[in-house]
Amino acid sequence: MYISGVRPAPSFAQRLVTARLLHRFNFGPTPGQYADLLQRGVEATQATVLERGSADSGLGSVVAPVLADLGPYPEANTPAATAYGNAIHAGNTDLVTWWLDRMVVSHHPLAERMTWFWHGHFATSISGVTYPLAMQKQNNTLRTHALANFKDMARAMVVDGAMNVWLNNNENYIQSPNENLAREFMELMTLGVNKFTQHDVTAAARALTGYTTVQSNGHVIFNAKQHFSKPLNILGTTSKLNAESLASLIVSKDENTKFITDRMWFRFVSDSTRPPASLAGSFADRDISSLVSALVHSSAWSNPANSLVKSPVEWFVGACRALKVRPSTLNPGDTQWQLQQMGQIPLNPPNVGGWPFGQAWLSGVAYQYRFHLAQSIVTTADLAPLSVPKSKMVQACADWLGVPEWSRRTASTLAAATATPSELALAALLSPEYMVSA
Amino acid sequence: MINCEFDRRRFLQWTGAGMFAAVSAQLSLESLASAASSSPLPASTPILVLVTLYGGNDGLNTVVPFTDPLYQSTRSNIALSSSQLLPITDSLALNSSMPSINTLYGKNKVAIVQGVSYPNPSLSHFSSMAIWQSASLTADLSSGWIGRWLDIHPHSAFNAIGIGSTLPPALVGEKSVASMLDVGGVQLPWGPVASLLPRLGRSSTSDVPLEAAAATSITDLFSTASLLGPLVPKSPKGSLLGQQLSLVSTLINANVPTRVWEVNLSSFDTHTGEQADQNALLAEVDAAIGAFMTSISAGTRSNDVTVMIYSEFGRRVVSNASDGTDHGTSAPVLLIGNTVKGGLYGEQPPLNALDVNGNLEVTTDFRAVYGGLLHDVLGTPVSDVIPSWKTALSVH
Repeated sequence: MYISGVRPAPSFAQRLVTARLLHRFNFGPTPGQYADLLQRGVEATQATVLERGSADSGLGSVVAPVLADLGPYPEANTPAATAYGNAIHAGNTDLVTWWLDRMVVSHHPLAERMTWFWHGHFATSISGVTYPLAMQKQNNTLRTHALANFKDMARAMVVDGAMNVWLNNNENYIQSPNENLAREFMELMTLGVNKFTQHDVTAAARALTGYTTVQSNGHVIFNAKQHFSKPLNILGTTSKLNAESLASLIVSKDENTKFITDRMWFRFVSDSTRPPASLAGSFADRDISSLVSALVHSSAWSNPANSLVKSPVEWFVGACRALKVRPSTLNPGDTQWQLQQMGQIPLNPPNVGGWPFGQAWLSGVAYQYRFHLAQSIVTTADLAPLSVPKSKMVQACADWLGVPEWSRRTASTLAAATATPSELALAALLSPEYMVSA
Repeated sequence: MINCEFDRRRFLQWTGAGMFAAVSAQLSLESLASAASSSPLPASTPILVLVTLYGGNDGLNTVVPFTDPLYQSTRSNIALSSSQLLPITDSLALNSSMPSINTLYGKNKVAIVQGVSYPNPSLSHFSSMAIWQSASLTADLSSGWIGRWLDIHPHSAFNAIGIGSTLPPALVGEKSVASMLDVGGVQLPWGPVASLLPRLGRSSTSDVPLEAAAATSITDLFSTASLLGPLVPKSPKGSLLGQQLSLVSTLINANVPTRVWEVNLSSFDTHTGEQADQNALLAEVDAAIGAFMTSISAGTRSNDVTVMIYSEFGRRVVSNASDGTDHGTSAPVLLIGNTVKGGLYGEQPPLNALDVNGNLEVTTDFRAVYGGLLHDVLGTPVSDVIPSWKTALSVH
């Protein structure tokens, strides 16, 4: 029988590329989105994941926590000190929940996905900053610049309060520079290791003197008298520099294009292959959206070698998007504790180098906590996409979650889990094919 | 300033601990058959315990050249006073935050290897830790040194175990990776799908390497749970490192078939307020090591265990104005065990002959320390794990 208008089934290659683009740039598909984009083709998928929208109607219902400036630390061992500690703890939890909600409900998730990338790139931890208000300001700064110009972003981040507290710039004095911010800014955020000398570090630290951050609110005050105002020789140029002009100087170096291009490739495409030399050209003007667009349109997506492990947050957010579960409707304390046990809780990277990657996330211990999280998601999920005849449930599950293909191992295991949709969904979220973006 | 920072850190630890206690009450160990007796580690098999100190521990305030006038003059704001020192020779003293290690040193059970790093040391945390964990100076090896040791043995989830949930690079090989174990215990999945999940851990010919690794992690959870689960204390007590080493000593004494263990402690990056912070961290290390050695010495593995304590680099000789130190180069490595020949190894780098950046010279290559451990403890030719490297510094 001939049925007009029925297209041939999408090839494995198209299923792979479509799934990769959705998982890497959009935290994974919403219900029906993968099947829809498989019909519409790779170009439509590329356009979809890059969509920005002037206002994201999905985000309207997510209200940012209002965090108070808690002021100085009260006298120890008093009720005021207890309340102060509780406010810090609650603010931290609320801020993380708010961000996870945004990642999950956004209709155009690229902006949140890029904010998440930059959080790992300019890795700052509340464990050193203490105050959620300062972290919230930094988070908003990252979001403002997430797809804009990297030079502006670097200029904003070098005088960001949370960053300055985290990397000890409050203790950086003319008489005796503290090198922490200067070194890590060049090594991990702008140029890369071995692209500068110890002399450059010492000089850059002097350019960063005179900035003091009020820790409780992240407000940065510049005091010209405490700033080293003489010319400094940095990266072969001698000039008078403050923090922002230092950032501009550093970002103007050619090494910056290659470094940022490499970092984006590493986190979005592969930690085992290298980007083509031409990719850095798309970042010549330091325009982040051009680089992201070049990555999305790259030929890399059909290369089987470019698989990545989803980080715990990416796996969790992807599952919540597909199963229509807002993280704030789960128990936030439990959720964040499980993510912490898996090694990744937003706002608390392990160190200034950012998150681990690849196989580091694949431990038996992590699987134990992955089960807890999957269980809590499935319990409140919308499982309508699995309301199909039993014989079609396993394939419907792949099309729903954005999995290119189940292995025979997983397909046969899932076929044994079709007694209820929630059992199938739980086993699918815990499969190797869903833990990895193959 | 120092006290304020310290209080805040303690305070955060307290709030974190409160959250832990509230949730961990839900976790209970499944009743599992103890299988440690089914495949125990043969008697007298040597065991290596790696203690990684992240952040760059200041070697000069750990093993202190206290009689050198330059020690006081270069870092007067953080130099330890005579009451904060436990002399071990005429010119060297241990930080007094380490009384247990001092006692072990007095019993010749601590080898202090001095001036350890590698040629042209990197001042980057991440490059340097990658070099230490891969035992490769050029980062041309993506595998860890223990990972490559695993690669030359038949895979078992028990050959090497790290404590925590994320795998440290040292434990990742090309073919094999270590298992991880959490101080919070092992809890297997429950409910209707629990019996199906082990099937997801089988290998499949269509797996890409990372999918295969994901499947292996599933299998490792089930195998570590059945073997180790019943042995993990339900309510771990003590410091971060104390809990980890307590778990390791429990499992070693239970004869689990594991040759290499890894534990770690962070926060050694003391750019500010160093003395209070580092002394507290060293006290944590010392108490954890003291309890660990007491536990091991009372069991049947007393003569089998060697501990290595190391960090990615030492710190700058001259302190900064914020009572801290910036990134440096060489530092001592401590090797501890009842069969270790205690004493000083290598040369203490002089304070009057610094490199162009004001950092200590390197007098011992860390790969020689690894070489000795590979030969003496792991029974493996050094060059099988560190290509074209031959030197082995033996402390046994």
